Amino acid sequence: MSSSLYFTDEHEMFRQTVRRFVEQEINPHVDEWEEAGTWPAHELFAKMGPLGFLGLTYPEEYGGQGLDFWYTAVFCEELARINCGGVPMGITVHTDMCTPALAHFGSHELKQQFLEPSIRGDMVGCIGVTEPDAGSDVAAIRTRAVADGDDWVITGRKLYITNGTQADWVCLLARTSDEGSYRGMSLIMVPTKTPGFSVSRKLRKLGNWSSDTAELVLDEVRVPRANTIGQEGMGFMLQMQQFQRERLVGALLSCAQMERIVRDTIAYTRERQTFGQPLINNQVIHFRLCELLTEIELLRQLNYHCVRMMVAGQDVTREASMAKLKAGRLVREVVDSCLQYYGGMGYMEETPISRAFRDSRLLSIGAGADEIMLGIIAKIEGILPGKQKSR
Amino acid sequence: MKIVMCVKETPSTTAEKRFGADMRLERRKEDAIINPFDEYSIEEGLRQQEKHGGETIVLSMGPATATDTIRKALAMGADRGVLVSDPALAGSDAVATARVLAAALQKIGFDLVLFGSAAADAYGGIVPSAVAEFLGLPLLSFATKLDEDGTTAKIERQAEVGYNTVETQTPALVSVMKSINEPRYPSMKGIMQSKKKTIDTMSLADLGIESGTVGAGASGEKALSAEKITTQRKGEIYMGNDGAAERVVAFLVEQKVL
Ligand SMILES: Cc1cc2nc3c(=O)[nH]c(=O)nc-3n(C[C@H](O)[C@H](O)[C@H](O)COP(=O)(O)OP(=O)(O)OC[C@H]3O[C@@H](n4cnc5c(N)ncnc54)[C@H](O)[C@@H]3O)c2cc1C
Repeated sequence: MSSSLYFTDEHEMFRQTVRRFVEQEINPHVDEWEEAGTWPAHELFAKMGPLGFLGLTYPEEYGGQGLDFWYTAVFCEELARINCGGVPMGITVHTDMCTPALAHFGSHELKQQFLEPSIRGDMVGCIGVTEPDAGSDVAAIRTRAVADGDDWVITGRKLYITNGTQADWVCLLARTSDEGSYRGMSLIMVPTKTPGFSVSRKLRKLGNWSSDTAELVLDEVRVPRANTIGQEGMGFMLQMQQFQRERLVGALLSCAQMERIVRDTIAYTRERQTFGQPLINNQVIHFRLCELLTEIELLRQLNYHCVRMMVAGQDVTREASMAKLKAGRLVREVVDSCLQYYGGMGYMEETPISRAFRDSRLLSIGAGADEIMLGIIAKIEGILPGKQKSR
Repeated sequence: MKIVMCVKETPSTTAEKRFGADMRLERRKEDAIINPFDEYSIEEGLRQQEKHGGETIVLSMGPATATDTIRKALAMGADRGVLVSDPALAGSDAVATARVLAAALQKIGFDLVLFGSAAADAYGGIVPSAVAEFLGLPLLSFATKLDEDGTTAKIERQAEVGYNTVETQTPALVSVMKSINEPRYPSMKGIMQSKKKTIDTMSLADLGIESGTVGAGASGEKALSAEKITTQRKGEIYMGNDGAAERVVAFLVEQKVL
């Protein structure tokens, strides 16, 4: 069945299931969700959970499928068929951005309380790192958790939080000691119905309209200290690790989206006639599209290499940062070139390319901006001045 | 209760159709899917099993590689598969196919056999009735609802207006319409479990069928030619002040719109 070098028959069968799910359960509603500025995460997860979509690589003990990361790659490639960027982002935040640390380092009780229902599709999660005064510089966060007996009492603000208006819990990065900089932070599981927790506002954005993005306020929110993921004080490190998966998933998703965008553009420029011939017959256009396909193919190979490294249990920090950096930059080229070939039609809000143009801009900013990726790569390469001295 | 769902591997409905010199459809492995109509009979079999227990078996006649298609049905939840495959079967028409399926069904044993209403490649829609004829059993066709209690099967049969209620003793055969249910997606768990399920392969010899009675040679149905349907949209434009409105009205009357 599978002609691919990378995927087995089971991967391909799973691909068909996700593809059909996207076609039948998601795409018919995307326009409505884009308009509404949100998507029904609970309703959709209740259908995705039983199909096994929400815990592909997580342990079977907590309802996961215990599968290899290639399944996640397939999942991303098929979510890329969703006709917008917001919904796949909302889904992957839940499956691969706010859950990895919990799944790998959370206590058995925490996993029972949060991971299991999230895999089942009964709970929606989100990740709370960014704050009004700390984005790229994660070490500058101010949200503080103060120990009070067996509890944390947490106060602070989190900004631009995906799934923020509908999440049942936040995987929250907070300061848990007075040590400065990246020391003394912890990842804490915070149920959003805890008193003192509120969603201060839903934010309006350039793109990814269907994804709800929120500002969260924590005012003396009390949760058990046992809600800490892993060791207290290890939060920064755990989050940096969790980011690797977030970045790789971002690159996988975006790579498949780019390919779809180029293929749609090929189809359009074949039909569209100017000066008595199809647009695509202009060498400047078909050469450009082939150049983009070449770049996309290179990115795919880097992505697949990262997946292989993940499966082999290797550290992907360098490669996943490169993939995310490349994806963020390439997608901007892809949507810009493709939109150009749609002409005025591409500028119309209702066309898919116009939406892709708006949605794609995020990738160079979210999950660590391009410059942050470059900083990480520079650090690993040993060519980042200053930083080594201060730390 | 033993429920057998008959499933055909067909080319994807969106795949480009190509015909060989013998006017038979070229079947490419990469385009192969479960006949979309059969997803409803598979789903119905699984639902009956959920209600009454028993065993669900997927039966297909096709090339050796059709095990992939059977596997998809197993991923939806069926218990095991049977593939009838034999080089001598190539080119079998609907009646020859029915002869083979009937023999396989007899060998497997069943209380209920489910079919889709047609196959998306040829749209013949006669295999279910031909199988019933070979088996000498009743066929409840075009079911939009099925109730089965172990001794009788009762369906609502789609009629031109409304539906008829039809009932028979089991064992019986039922063909289902798309409106009967909403087929499930194979879950990840189902996909992983399908790997461990058995698919038995039967040859013509296993079924005691003479190869001369099936296959292209024994098939009365011959495809002579195939042509692409081209629909031409021709618009007519009436312009000017001299009677354009009257001509539009005349046209609409002629088309029985007005
Ligand atoms: C739609 C959306 C969804 C988001 N979802 C989440 C979420 O779910 N959870 C979450 O925690 N966060 C989320 N974020 C936040 C996101 O991760 C941050 O916006 C991002 O990390 C950048 O931080 P910042 O916005 O504070 O920008 P800043 O840190 O102010 O940086 C601004 C720009 O300066 C440049 N820059 C920064 N530092 C350097 C440097 N050292 N060298 C050179 N250039 C530099 C970069 O180009 C950067 O884009 C989301 C953001 C958006 C827009």
